[in-house]
Amino acid sequence: MLEVRDLRKEFKGVVAVDGVSFRVAAGGSLAVVGESGSGKTTCARIVTGLTKATSGTVVLNGSVQMVFQDPYQSLDRRQTVRGCLAEVLAHHRKDRSRIGELLDLVGLDRALGEALPRHLSGGQRQRVAIARALAAEPRLLVLDEAVAALDVSIQAQILNLLVDARAATGVAYLFITHDLSVVRHVCEDVVVMSRGRVVEAGPVERVLHRPDHEYTRRLVASVPRPGWVPSRAVSRG
Amino acid sequence: MTLLEFENLRVSLGDRPILRNVTLSVAAGEAVGLVGESGSGKSMTVRSVVRLLPEGAAVTGAVRFEGADIASLGAAGLRRMRSRDVAMVFQDPRAVVNPVRTVGDFLTEVLRDQGVNRADALRKAAGSLSEVGVDDASRRLAQRPYELSGGLLQRVVIAAALLTEPKLILADEPTTALDVTTQEEVVAILDEQRRRRSVALMFITHDLELAAAVCDRIAVMYAGEIVEILPADRLHTEARHPYTRALLGSRPGTVPPGQRLRTVPGVPQSALTAPPGCVFADRCPHAEDRCRDTRPAFRGSAACHLLEEVR
Repeated sequence: MLEVRDLRKEFKGVVAVDGVSFRVAAGGSLAVVGESGSGKTTCARIVTGLTKATSGTVVLNGSVQMVFQDPYQSLDRRQTVRGCLAEVLAHHRKDRSRIGELLDLVGLDRALGEALPRHLSGGQRQRVAIARALAAEPRLLVLDEAVAALDVSIQAQILNLLVDARAATGVAYLFITHDLSVVRHVCEDVVVMSRGRVVEAGPVERVLHRPDHEYTRRLVASVPRPGWVPSRAVSRG
Repeated sequence: MTLLEFENLRVSLGDRPILRNVTLSVAAGEAVGLVGESGSGKSMTVRSVVRLLPEGAAVTGAVRFEGADIASLGAAGLRRMRSRDVAMVFQDPRAVVNPVRTVGDFLTEVLRDQGVNRADALRKAAGSLSEVGVDDASRRLAQRPYELSGGLLQRVVIAAALLTEPKLILADEPTTALDVTTQEEVVAILDEQRRRRSVALMFITHDLELAAAVCDRIAVMYAGEIVEILPADRLHTEARHPYTRALLGSRPGTVPPGQRLRTVPGVPQSALTAPPGCVFADRCPHAEDRCRDTRPAFRGSAACHLLEEVR
């Protein structure tokens, strides 16, 4: 349902994204992983139309919505949760009565409908951001580091919610993240980016367990886990 | 030998408690990880060591460094401790290093203040940079912070921390802002230098696995209290407190992909919102009435009423 072909983006002569191609099947879940400066967020912004590619094509079959890392900055601080959802529903000519249903879907107490963002915790705000994105009934949800800023116990709740919401609505995910354990948990396929290019792509199981590319190997090896001993031998200056 | 000791430390701001009761000791050369979610009091615990608490904070209990109560230190004693015996490394190196001065100025400032002459101070600074894996030290000394990546700048901060030959390093989420491959290098360097010099370390992180990799012991904090302390290498096998187990179980990767993660309901609490008995009682799946009313004492590694029942 999403096909990105040969994407290229230059900022003032600096190449941020170079020859990137990937696709997301309807109802599928694709992760784009990489470190800062790898071009993964630029790809997400091109897919959602927030940034224009220098060249390449994006074919999207259906609507797309985006969830950002910091829900506080992406919510209107003077708008109640209910107001926020009502606005999106009205804009997309959907029935206002779905507000309660959306709150249930993202696990928010219906009583919190009247709350302002400042009354909510970080996890609750991210639930509102996800509910708002799902209100438009998109075929694709782009999640840009959407669980990165959350505490571990809250991150687990949101990951469960994302798994449930996909099962309930059939929405596809494009997950932009640096966290490989999140990728393992919610994605079927993964694209590994480094310095603007795709270095490796394939099913999560294969890429993260038997990586072909040197960079993917290092990325996998640098994640703290039981028995892990950090090494400084990986220096790249 | 005990280097640092927290004894029934309580910190509050007005009528708002921040730390409810922290008791912990750190031996000379030992690395202790402080792990917990936001609002658990990790940073406040560490900041209380150098009396970097918010204006108006009321402190009861004691923090002792080499046997001396920090509260009794005068201005000169506090200054000496902060500039010589205890070094701090924070999450964002750019907030620490003066952006308009050179790396060399930053590294030599304290040494110069201690009366070391400029040439010697620069030589020591260059030596310290190469020990933390920064090549081409003479060029780096002349550069300014904006010319360095975050990972490189954090190594400069660690080099500065080591320069005064401290007895204790307080590291508050020192790698949280870094990419994971850079994080590996930076913690490897911190770990290596700490062991080589027998410096004690208090390492704050929300990442249990990271803490377990670089620390001797782990203290798990929740809502202004330490709920469990255990050897890092037994974290996975011997954690007994329901909160520690919940943290371990909520990481993706602990269940097969796509299956539901085991979560704890509710949100992380602070010392203000936690119940008067066990701080975790509101969210604990096993909690009983006595948990809400009576504060559990430490038994073995954990402060929990239900260690026998919850296995």
